Amino acid sequence: MSLLLFDVLLCGLLLALALASVLSRQLSHAVILYIAFGLLMALTWARLAAPDLALAEAAIGAGLTGALCFTALARQGKLAASPTLSWQQRCWPALFVLVTLFGLLLLVLQLPAKPGPLPALVMQQLAASGVSHPVTAVLLNFRSWDTLLELLVLLLALLGTLQVAPAPVYQSSWVLSRSWSQLLAPLIIVLAGYLLWAGAHQPGGAFQAGALLAAGAVVLKLNHQLNWLAWRNIWVRFFAIAGLTVFVAAVLTAWLLSGALAEPVWLRWPPELAKYIILLIEIFATLAIAITLTLLVVAEQPATPLSLARQEDDEAADG
Amino acid sequence: MMILLLVLPLAAALLMLLWPRIAPLLALFSAAVCSFLALQLLLQVSEQGTRYWLLAGWPSGLAIAWQADTLSCLLILLTAVLQLLVGFYAFATRARDKLSQGFWPLSSLLQLSLTALWLSRDLFNLYVCLELLALVAVALVSLSGRKAIKPALNYLLLSLFGSLCYLLGVVLLYGAYGRLDIAGLVSQWQPNLLTNSALLLMSLGLMLKAALWPLHGWLPAAHAAAPAPVSALLSALVVKGPLFILCLLWLQLASTEQAQAMAPLFAGAGLAALLFGGWSALRTPFAKNLVAYSTVAQLGYATLALGLMLKFDQPLIFAALWLFVLAHALAKAACFLAIGEMSGTLGGKRLTTLKGASQTMPLAMFAFAVAGGSLIGLPPSGGFLAKWALLQGLWLQEQQLFWPLALVLATLLSAAYVFRVVVLAFDRADPVAPDFSPQVLPQWLALLPALAVWAMALFSEPLLLLLRLEAL
Repeated sequence: MSLLLFDVLLCGLLLALALASVLSRQLSHAVILYIAFGLLMALTWARLAAPDLALAEAAIGAGLTGALCFTALARQGKLAASPTLSWQQRCWPALFVLVTLFGLLLLVLQLPAKPGPLPALVMQQLAASGVSHPVTAVLLNFRSWDTLLELLVLLLALLGTLQVAPAPVYQSSWVLSRSWSQLLAPLIIVLAGYLLWAGAHQPGGAFQAGALLAAGAVVLKLNHQLNWLAWRNIWVRFFAIAGLTVFVAAVLTAWLLSGALAEPVWLRWPPELAKYIILLIEIFATLAIAITLTLLVVAEQPATPLSLARQEDDEAADG
Repeated sequence: MMILLLVLPLAAALLMLLWPRIAPLLALFSAAVCSFLALQLLLQVSEQGTRYWLLAGWPSGLAIAWQADTLSCLLILLTAVLQLLVGFYAFATRARDKLSQGFWPLSSLLQLSLTALWLSRDLFNLYVCLELLALVAVALVSLSGRKAIKPALNYLLLSLFGSLCYLLGVVLLYGAYGRLDIAGLVSQWQPNLLTNSALLLMSLGLMLKAALWPLHGWLPAAHAAAPAPVSALLSALVVKGPLFILCLLWLQLASTEQAQAMAPLFAGAGLAALLFGGWSALRTPFAKNLVAYSTVAQLGYATLALGLMLKFDQPLIFAALWLFVLAHALAKAACFLAIGEMSGTLGGKRLTTLKGASQTMPLAMFAFAVAGGSLIGLPPSGGFLAKWALLQGLWLQEQQLFWPLALVLATLLSAAYVFRVVVLAFDRADPVAPDFSPQVLPQWLALLPALAVWAMALFSEPLLLLLRLEAL
């Protein structure tokens, strides 16, 4: 009964926060409400028995996305007055959302209640996957090709951002926040390490650990620590692509190892080595994700040749 | 061997990020090797038949399914070859255009994501490929600097909306059947409210991403804002990815009744794209926008062919669909490179700067005219081949007068906008003087795909045969 009350309260709060975030007049208010929405969303995932999603939502949805929005707002400088929308302009999107919402609700009610055949299949093959947590097994063994491409999506988001990143804004940091961020750092490293290790047999894993590390690094970076953490540093670039590099190297090694078979199978880990390969990939993926997410939030125009030519062009155009 | 088609571009892109200095060489090398491998794969598949893979060797349903049929192999080959050509163009013009170093890793990643997309037969993996494709495309558009930020952002937001719609459809199908591989879904498919809405949602998202009429609004701005080599890649390849998935959905997944019900909508959208796209291309004052609107119009042929294929289920029409795609990819690459070369040298974005170009830059103008011939469908170009296959397919169905007539009208429109440029270029009385002496090599590179599209006529027999077999 009390849990039912909790659920109802959670749903009501989620809806209220979402509406408030969309309708709020100031962008900074909208972002704060959105962060609160993300935290409650994480709770909701936990209530829906999806702790992996809850962790990811808390770290990325509530944490890093909020930080991303705030840094974007900070760089806007003086905001141009947002145009006021007329009554009709507001009405059409609302109508669209309502119609889609009811359509989807109608469809969701039609879905069969029993789970599909895949969860059973996953549990059946779990022993051969090298890890005992089904989510990690799906991500890094059964459907590892998706994960490889997802890592690439993250890297691409960074590459795209670096193309258009504005010049950095220098702001002084607050002494107290600087010392606090330094105190926080070791704690975050330990927590991220735990999350990474836990991923093998319980909720956790590279994405969550990476996001947590990134959150710590962003706090430090915003307090003017970690000055070496920039795209122009070749080692940073090296570790930003390390997750993918190790992944590809592991795939190729495993592929060559299985070459004795008649038809070598792409992306197949040898069962006895699977555990170590997955751990290796996870470690480097965590580092890569952490660095990529950090650079995304504090994106500064790199001084590498990546954008030098364009910068000159822009200056020429301005001058 | 086939794995190298994916690993090489990825490894090359990663190395380029570490050492930007050697990026062009790496990109050209990987594209060249990939073209060779893709040709080998195509020959192998056309001899030994379609190849199937279950990634990592897990049982079907659990693993991601791949399939390399002749169509996929043709598209992989097209991707690699165009990549190589555009890479050469970018390399040849690097001193003049100062294309940002970011171009090289992004173009390699574009090749990777398209190759992965042509191979995949798993709805969720296709979604990941789509995401990858959209992000690469947006990053490539934003290479132009500040003026491209707005079109790039519009493109990104619309593309994300499209992805979301597609993902919703995938979720509904997964909820209903509990699996994601297309072969598995086909065996359990039932036409009902759930699958109807899933198909419609996915089609909405894909049509937005493929810029099919009436969801094409973002395309002209985005493609016109990008640097010339990027526009060539975007128009020739990127919009074809979602189109491919759309065909997979409607030709393989959908039941006959669903396909029949959807056919008039696709055919109508295709016809509207041909008419409105052609009309806009006739009206626009900017050279690159003309070519971009022509992409909208030419995609109309593909949509129309898809609609007619759903209606009549005629293998010739299926072959026509993909011949249109191949011919358009080659012709459009030539058009964008030629126009980019001309507006770069003559110094202006407006069509009027092309005045007298047949005298000042005859090679580039020739490339545009030759490619335009294929866009119109003059025999014996690739465009003619496709149109002929479509008409032949329609004639096999009796009592079809409306569609051939509509095709004639569309052809006249495309002839009108191509001649609009050609007439201006032959106005030699007072030609626009070039800002500097025109470079010869880039103009030849623009001419190459235009010649290739006419050379398609030489391979018309095997091409038609291969593509017709694929439809069965």
